[in-house]
Formats: sequence, C-alpha cells, structure tokens
Amino acid sequence: MYPANFDYVRPSSVDEAVALLQKHGDDAKVLAGGHSLIPAMKLRLAQPHVVIDIGRIATLSYIREAGGTIAIGATTTHSEVETSKLLREKCPLLSETASHIGDLQVRNKGTIGGSLVHADPASDYPAPILALEAEIDLVGPRGKRTVRADQFFVDLLQTAIAADEILTEVRVPVTSPSVAYIKTEQKASGFALAGVAVVASPSGVRVGVTGVAPKAYRATAVEQTIGNQRTAHAIELAAAHAADGVEPLGDIHASAQFRAHLARVNTRRALERALSR
Amino acid sequence: MWPPRVRKVKLTVSHSVPADRQRVFDALGDPAILRRCIPGCESLTATAPDAYEATLKIGVPGIKGVYAGIAAISDKHPPESLTLSFEGKGGPGFVRGSAAIVLSPGEAATRVGCEADVQVGGLIAAVGSRLIEATARKLAGDFFNQLSKEMSATT
Amino acid sequence: MSDATPYIGRAMKRVEDPRLIQGLGTYTDDLRLAGLLHACILRSPHAHARIRRIETSAAKAIPGVVAVFTGADVNDSCGAVPCAAAIPDLKAPRHTVLAGDRVYFVGHAVAVAVATDPYIACDAIDEIEVDYDPLPAVVNAMEALKSGSALTHPDMGANVAFTHVVNGGSDIDAAFRNADRIIKHRLYHQRLTPMPIEPRAVVASYHRGEGTLTLWTSTQIPHLLRTLLPNMLGIPETKLRIVAPEVGGGFGAKLNVYAEEALCAHLAMRLSAPVKWVESRRENAASTIHGRDQIGDYEVAVKNDGRILGLKATSVADLGAYLQLLTPAVPTLTGLVLTGCYKIPAIRFEVVGVYTNKMATDAYRGAGRPEATYLIERLMDVVANELKIDRLDLRLKHFPAPGDFPFATSCGVTYDSGNYQGTLAKAKQLADWDALMADRKAARAAGKLFGVGVSTYVEICAMGPSKAMPAGGWEWGCVRMEISAKVTVITGVTPHGQGQETSFAQIVADRLGVPIEDVAVLKGDTNVAHYGRDTYGSRGTAVGGTAIVMSVDKVIKKAKTLAAHLFETLDDYVVFENGKFKAPGITAREIAWSELAAEAYLAKNLPAGFEPGLEASSFFEPENFTFPFGTHICAVEVDRDTGEVAITKYVAVDDCGNQINPLLVEGQVQGGIAHAIGQALFEQTIYDENGQLLTGEFMDYAIPRATDIPEYTLGSTVTPSPVNPLGVKGVGEAGTIGATPAIANAVIDALTPLGVVHLDLPMTPERIWRAMQTRTVATV
Repeated sequence: MYPANFDYVRPSSVDEAVALLQKHGDDAKVLAGGHSLIPAMKLRLAQPHVVIDIGRIATLSYIREAGGTIAIGATTTHSEVETSKLLREKCPLLSETASHIGDLQVRNKGTIGGSLVHADPASDYPAPILALEAEIDLVGPRGKRTVRADQFFVDLLQTAIAADEILTEVRVPVTSPSVAYIKTEQKASGFALAGVAVVASPSGVRVGVTGVAPKAYRATAVEQTIGNQRTAHAIELAAAHAADGVEPLGDIHASAQFRAHLARVNTRRALERALSR
Repeated sequence: MWPPRVRKVKLTVSHSVPADRQRVFDALGDPAILRRCIPGCESLTATAPDAYEATLKIGVPGIKGVYAGIAAISDKHPPESLTLSFEGKGGPGFVRGSAAIVLSPGEAATRVGCEADVQVGGLIAAVGSRLIEATARKLAGDFFNQLSKEMSATT
Repeated sequence: MSDATPYIGRAMKRVEDPRLIQGLGTYTDDLRLAGLLHACILRSPHAHARIRRIETSAAKAIPGVVAVFTGADVNDSCGAVPCAAAIPDLKAPRHTVLAGDRVYFVGHAVAVAVATDPYIACDAIDEIEVDYDPLPAVVNAMEALKSGSALTHPDMGANVAFTHVVNGGSDIDAAFRNADRIIKHRLYHQRLTPMPIEPRAVVASYHRGEGTLTLWTSTQIPHLLRTLLPNMLGIPETKLRIVAPEVGGGFGAKLNVYAEEALCAHLAMRLSAPVKWVESRRENAASTIHGRDQIGDYEVAVKNDGRILGLKATSVADLGAYLQLLTPAVPTLTGLVLTGCYKIPAIRFEVVGVYTNKMATDAYRGAGRPEATYLIERLMDVVANELKIDRLDLRLKHFPAPGDFPFATSCGVTYDSGNYQGTLAKAKQLADWDALMADRKAARAAGKLFGVGVSTYVEICAMGPSKAMPAGGWEWGCVRMEISAKVTVITGVTPHGQGQETSFAQIVADRLGVPIEDVAVLKGDTNVAHYGRDTYGSRGTAVGGTAIVMSVDKVIKKAKTLAAHLFETLDDYVVFENGKFKAPGITAREIAWSELAAEAYLAKNLPAGFEPGLEASSFFEPENFTFPFGTHICAVEVDRDTGEVAITKYVAVDDCGNQINPLLVEGQVQGGIAHAIGQALFEQTIYDENGQLLTGEFMDYAIPRATDIPEYTLGSTVTPSPVNPLGVKGVGEAGTIGATPAIANAVIDALTPLGVVHLDLPMTPERIWRAMQTRTVATV
C-alpha cells in the first residue's frame, strides 16, 4: 500500500495546472479529491511521475446560479453538492444522487469533477448528468470548450477530456422537483449495480443509467416509449426498455442479466418516484 | 453451483473490416500493422515465423500497466481462420489467453469474428475484477477500429 | 466492597475504550525502534506454478535495500510452519516460510525485500523477476476428489489430507432401517474472509548480546507462539518474548502461527536489526487464513410423527493448499455439536479434508460450530416442512429437559447445563410470536414475501479440557496485592477486544472489596504473563477468569493468616468482608488492605514461616467445555423485484451462564450477529476457476456495515455452568453461530409461497431473484 515515487505539485490556478499538464504529458495525473487516484496509486496500478493537485485552487469550488442554470466548480465535494440549499431547491436530482455516493468520508473528500473525469462505469454522477443534459467545461492550452453530457462519456473510464485539459465546471439546468435517482448498490463497494436518474417534465422524461454498461447512457428507448404518458401501465411498459441496446456488464457481483433487470426495475421506480413528486 | 464458478473472461467480438479476407488475414500476421493496431503496443518483433515478442502499455486511462509478452499464431487456414495465443506479464499481474479468429467474407468488407479466452491474474484479478471484462472488450474494439482505419487508409 | 452493589453483573463500559476511541492505543505498526528496517513480501500471482528462476539483482541494487531473500536463502535455516491438530493419518505438505520451487496459491510468499523504509521495500519487490511455469490449479474441493483430478501438491500423490469418521450413539444403520422416511439435503458453507480491520503486523528485534528475541505481533496467541516458534527459529523459549499489543480484530484469523512471524524473526536475527512487516489489505485477503468452506451431504432418518432417529453427515472440507495451526481440526469440531440442541440417538459423521490451490482455511468466528448449527437448524426446518409439523414443536420435541443435564449426546460430548425450552419461550415472548405470525399472514395476503426464521442453537465454549486441546486447554492467572494496596492482575488469556481488562477487574474488585479503579489487568506479553494459552474458543472468562478467581482466593487466604497474626488470633477467627479483615468477638479492630499490604511487603512483623508479599498464581484445568445456547428469531421481507432482503425484526435470547458484564455480553452478541448477517446475506470469498482470488479488497468483499444491522431485541436467560466457579459459559461466538441459520431460515420461509425450498449461502439478491424466476413470472 505504498505508492511508487512521484513528484507533487500544487498549482494555484487553472492556467498553471494546464501548463503543468502540458509540460509533463502522460507522466502526470491530476489529483482533486483523490478518491479514485490515490487508491490506484497505493496499489501501484497507477504510477504517475507527477501528481498535479488542483484541490487547493480556490476558484474551482463553488455552486452558483446564473441565468437559469446552476454552475458547479470542479472541486466541489459530493457532500457540498448533497447539502447545497441552492441545488436542493433548484436541481434536487444532483443532491439526491450525491447522497448515494460512497460513505460520509468519501463524500467529504471526493469531488464532482474528479468523479466525472474518472468515469468509473458504476459511479453515480453520470446518470443525473446525462438526464439533466448538463454541460461540462474543459480548459486546456487551446482555451475553454464546452461539452454536452451525451458527448462527454466516451467509453469505459474514458471521457471527451484531452490529456492536457482540466474539467473546470459542470452546469445543470434548474428543474422541477419531478426528479429521482434510484440505485442498487454493489454490496461491497457501494458503487451502482444499476443507478437510474429521471428528470420528468410535462413534455417528456429523460433517463440516465449508470452501472449497467461500460459507460453510462441515456435510456432513449424508455424516454420515447413513455412520451408524455404518465399511467402506471405506461411506466411499466417504458421501463422494460431500460437496457435496450446496451451490452450489460457482468461480474462476481451481478450477472449481465441481473444488471439489466435491475436497470428496468430501478427505471420503473425512478419514474414512479419522479412523477409522484 | 457451489463453490461459485466464475468463468474466466470469455470474449466474443465481431467486427467488420473494410478489406478482402486475404488482406485482413495477411494484416493479422504483419508485425508492422499489428504494432500500429494493438492498443498500447510499444514494440513488437518477430522472433520466429508466427511468433512475436511485444511490450504493451495497456489498461485504461490512469491505470496502465506495462506488459512484456509473447504471442504466437497457429492453426492457420488462410484466409479463413487462425488462432492467436498470447501471454503477458507486468507489475500489475499477468494476462494469458487465446483467440480463435474467423474471417468471413461480407460486402466490400470482411467480418472478423473473434472468440477469446482470457485469463487474468495477480493484482488486476484481485482488485479489478469488475473492470476486466469491460477493459478486454474495449481493447479488442480499439484494435479492430484501428485495423479498419489501417485497411481503409491503404485501400 | 467499595460500593454497595457488586461490580459483577453490572453493565460497565470498558476501561479499554477511552484509549482506543482517542487513538491512544499502541498497535504493532505504532512501534518505532531505532534502526528499524521494513520488509515487503513478493507473492505469487499464480495459484499453482513452478518457479523456474528468480532474479533479485535489480532489487538488491536499489539504494536503501538491505537484503532480498528467496526460499532458497531462508527455508533451510528457518523451520516449517506448524500445524498443531492431531488427526490420525494426516498427510501434510512441508510448509516452508517462503515458497520453494513451486507456488501453491495466489498470495503464496515467494521472496522478501528488506529496506530502510517501506516505500523502498515495495520498490524492491517490483524489481524482483520471477519466471513462473503455470500449472493446473485445483480450486474445487469436490472436483479435487475425483480420480484424474489435477493435484494441489503433485508430490503428495492425492488431494485428500485426511478422512475423519465419528460414529456415535446407538446403531446408525438400525436408525435408518427403522425410519419411515429419509430426508436428504446438501448444504454449503461458503468460504469467508475474516477481514479484521487491523491486518497482521509483526516487529521482530534481536538482542545479539543477550541472545534474546522480542516479537511484537498482532496475534491472539502470544503464548502459543512462544511454545511453537523455538522449533522454527532455533531459539529456546527462555530467550523468546512475544508481545501482542493492541489487536484490531482477530476473529480466529490471528489464532495462528504465520510464516511471516517466523520470517521477520529470522530476518532480525540474520540482519542484526529490528524488522517490521505490516500486511496490506490485499495481502490480508489472500494470505491470512479464510474460514468455513465445507460442503455437506446430510441424511436424516425420521418417523412420520417427527421423531428423528439418526443423522448421517458427509462433509468435504476445503483446506486450501497448506495446513495452518488448526486447519484440519476445525471441520472435525463440527462433529462435536452435529446434533445441536436435540436428542438424536444415532449419528455418523464423516469429514474429508481436501487440499486445493487456495489460502488455508482455519478457525474463523465459531470454527466448526457454525457449520454444525447451520446444518442442524436448516435440517429441522426441512424436516418440519416435509412432515408438515410445526417447526417449533419439532424442536421442542427433541430438546432434553432441564433435568436431563449434564446431558451426554450421541456426538460424544456432555452438555454441562441447559434450559433450551427457556430461551425458546423467552425469545417467542420478546418477538411477540403470535403477532409475528399474524403479520406474516397479513403480509402474504398482501402479496409480500415475508418470512420468519428460528434457530435454537447450542455451541462449545470455554476451550477446554487439556485432553481435547492440542496445546493444553488450561489457563494461568496471577493476582498481586501491591504494597500500595493497588491490585495487579495478570492473565494468560490475551483479550483483543473481548473486554477482560474490564470484566476481570470486576471479578477481582468484588472479591477483594477494592474499587475497580485500583485494579489493573495485564496481558499479552510473555515476559509479563509468563504462562497462558491465550484467547480463542470463547475461553477467556470461563477458563482464564477462573484462574484469576483461584488466585484471588489464595491471596485472601494468605492475607487472613497475616491478619490473624496481627490480631493475635487464629486464621479461623478472621473474617474478610467488604475489603476489611475482622475478628468478631476478639477485637473491634479492622485491618484494611492498605495496612495489611504494607505489613506483607515491609515484613517487619510476619508470622513464623510466612513468605513476604501478597501474590498468588494458579493454573486452572477445566473438567469440561461449557455449552451456551439460545434462540434467535428473525423476520425478513424480500423485495419481489430485486431480491433484496430487509431484516425487519431480530430477537436473540442467549444463555451464556452467569454474566460478569452484561454490556460486554451484549456487545459480543451484537457483533456476532453482524458477522452472521454477512455470512447469511452477502459475504463470500471467491476464487475463479484458475484459482485467482477475486475478492481481494473491500471493494469486492462485502462485510456488514452499520446500515446493514437492524435494531436488535436482545434478551438472555441464565443457566449457570457447573464447570467453573464463576458459572460462566462464554459468548464470543454465540451470535455468529445462532444467527446465520435464523436469517437463512427466515429468507427461505419468505420464499416458501413461491415454492422455494432451498437457497445456498450467501442469499444474495441475485441468487434470490433467480430462485424467484424459476417459480414465478418475472415482474418488472
């Protein structure tokens, strides 16, 4: 449990961090809350030569409202997301989801930006990020670009972020309270075997699913099937499509078949809950 | 069943490569092409006919391991099928396996079907079991995507 | 007595806790010695392989690396890891501290690097190159028994280590001939990883001048180590000091002699420097003993009226690759309580121990008794269901009456005391049984999967009579009334969370009539506690506590002689009450301990022939084990969609005899039930078919968390044990033993309306969901 040798640098601004990333390239890893990187380093699965700690860049930690959206800084912790009055009132899905992440210690240290960039296929945030159609800002040597949630998650542990970019901000829309996140936990790790986030509005619903496939996905078949119907029967019919078109993961904790089943069950439950709110 | 029987990772991948069967078959035995297509391949040299030594830096972002490995091709039935066996070891553990590769003709493309048995051991098995299958699938996908690019580029 | 109420029987908080809660405890890893070197161990990634070559030169070249050793360097000078179990015709491989030319399981120690800091030691490990030739691995004990199976140890020629058969009671064949029905069932006890929060840790320091070796190790058994390590190290026990500092959880996993303990000692001697090794979590999962892993086929001979005539059990125990201290003994313990709380006149028990390319199994919380209890309690439900008899009536019908004790069972042991009807009645009352049955009926009518499970268990504690214990089962204790009238108690048991620093102080303070604050309990250091057989098998209070009681009584007796001398009277006229010596009718003078102790040690005025000092020590040899028992009732609701189990009610009524400290009893029961929840619902150690360990971390091995624990309703009855003067039985393992079958029975009861009659442990959501799929149409 002793990491290999590494250099530690603590930039004081995003620009400085980006410059460091440029300089060290593949040899560097960005550290935010450290809840994915540090365990991998302690097991020596990850052996970066340089660790760039962005956790002390004060300007990266905030939750604020601007023009109908809520902007969340990259190093905002899960517990800050969970307890934010602003989010609880105006985008409760994110707070609800954050409350399901890990345990209290993890939530106190882990950050939304770190979690999204790591893109663990069973992490919680991707589900609401997709369902909310969030926007994600990435800053690199070429400046800032904004990536839509559905473009962000590329593959297993892989996102649209380039090696020399840093995720700086996530923006989510203000929503009605008709949202829900329902998750079945992997018993040991607490990660999602199937986590389903639903954002409902009179015109339709959006469904994000995590834990089931190599990357989180929008359950578009569910969204299309339910349309603007709201009956229990319609919910049940729609939820049955929650794992359509994906190749579910299977491991010692849940077979692919069971994960797909849980996706359907949790989709039904999340729809029911969101629509009852 | 008890004790729980956990299968080693079985991977079934099918990919369409835009070239005729013979070209694809030849490409799968061409060290230069293989080096370009195998994800994370840092070196690959032929040590004997159909036998290679390679250094791979593979994994997923942030969790990469360097593996030194050997690979061999057997059961060659040009241009229809071949078997690739491989063995690699590195700091995080070892990977061993074999892949039965079947090439079937399609329209302006060759369908490459690959059935692989992969055994993973050591640290990666102990701590990464939930990601192994997905990683293997991704690496196979990356390989065929690159091979397709390679084939279309030289068409 | 310093207080009107005695300390014994009081629910007192532990005196250990303030230091532990404040982070002031000293664990092995907290030790800092000048010149300390750090060891890191390279372990096999293969379940079975031949080692062609090990290249260590690159590792040795790293600045800060002091030494790198392989099996070839140490196995000749460091002896083999011992197994203490006495099983006839046991076939055992030589268990060297590092692998020789083969590795036999994932995690097998191959080489060790010693460096000036732990980071460098780990760097060195990464630079050692081992060329392995992988060989077929044996991972399934049942498959291993088949002819033509690959061999775990090819040089041994077979995978079977031993076959142990017990025939007990009346004629088993006659029982089966006379049966109306024979009910067969296969039950599995999955492999479990003990996962103490503190992994193993060792610091070894050799004093070249004195020729003495001190070994600090996170162990339950410093005294057994002192007995067994001399053979491995070539140091006489008189030059060996073993210290168990704070131990952060043992659960049986630290009831062992491990290769790393001998290896660190060997390194310290060889390198003339203190050496520390601290196990990582990953190593702990792979290379510290596992528990359970028994596969059993059971047959019950019954009459149609429910009478059980006999029980046959054939059990295959997966031992892993090596025998650790008690590996083969654990499954044989199952045979001692096979009949549970029941009068079953005939038994036959056969256990076959099988080698596989996995970590060794050994004693884990309950060690053999959970296996027996799970099977008999499942079988009682199976028999009741099959014969359409009420499961409680079936149990009651087979209980011995309270007057039948001591009760000799057909398994060959004699239960010391019991009132099984009493715990069952009290548990029913606490659970509000009739209301619970009404709830179940209503829930089922509403389409819910609601189940109630019962387990009435008996287990074996206070281990034990020396005849039955490989290393002797006595215990030693010492009590010293100091010159300051403070009391030092030294125990040979090595509590590591059981709380005997508190409970022994309660016992001694009461008997000596001193405030509990004046009593200090010392333990865990063989230079302090010279003799001991340590802590396991719920023996601490029943055996170790008795040695303390004997010693206190000797001190009081000696003190009376001195008091009589001071009163100028005879011993017989001296009365000892509330911490004061008196001679009623002779003098009004009272002598307190402060005065008497000063007299005893200053020795100015002692009776003729009286040895100065007030100290006594005692060995206690128990005449029998003790047999605590109880009834657990569990109610669960199963989620029809996801297969998740929610425990909605948990009632446990345990009888561990007299209770010294009910708070400690409750704590043990609570923790024990938590272990059982893990085993019943989600814990399992998984090796894949190549022998790769897939549950190497807390990310993949689920242990119960606070949120998994329901509100418990705990009760107790008190049936004192006649085996020791305290009347105590032991409670360290009761929760684990009693609860697993109660939970399992409840889950199966919940699924009964769907026609499910059996599920294997652990009853995970997916396993339950699959069982439901085969019976009902899938609902989304």
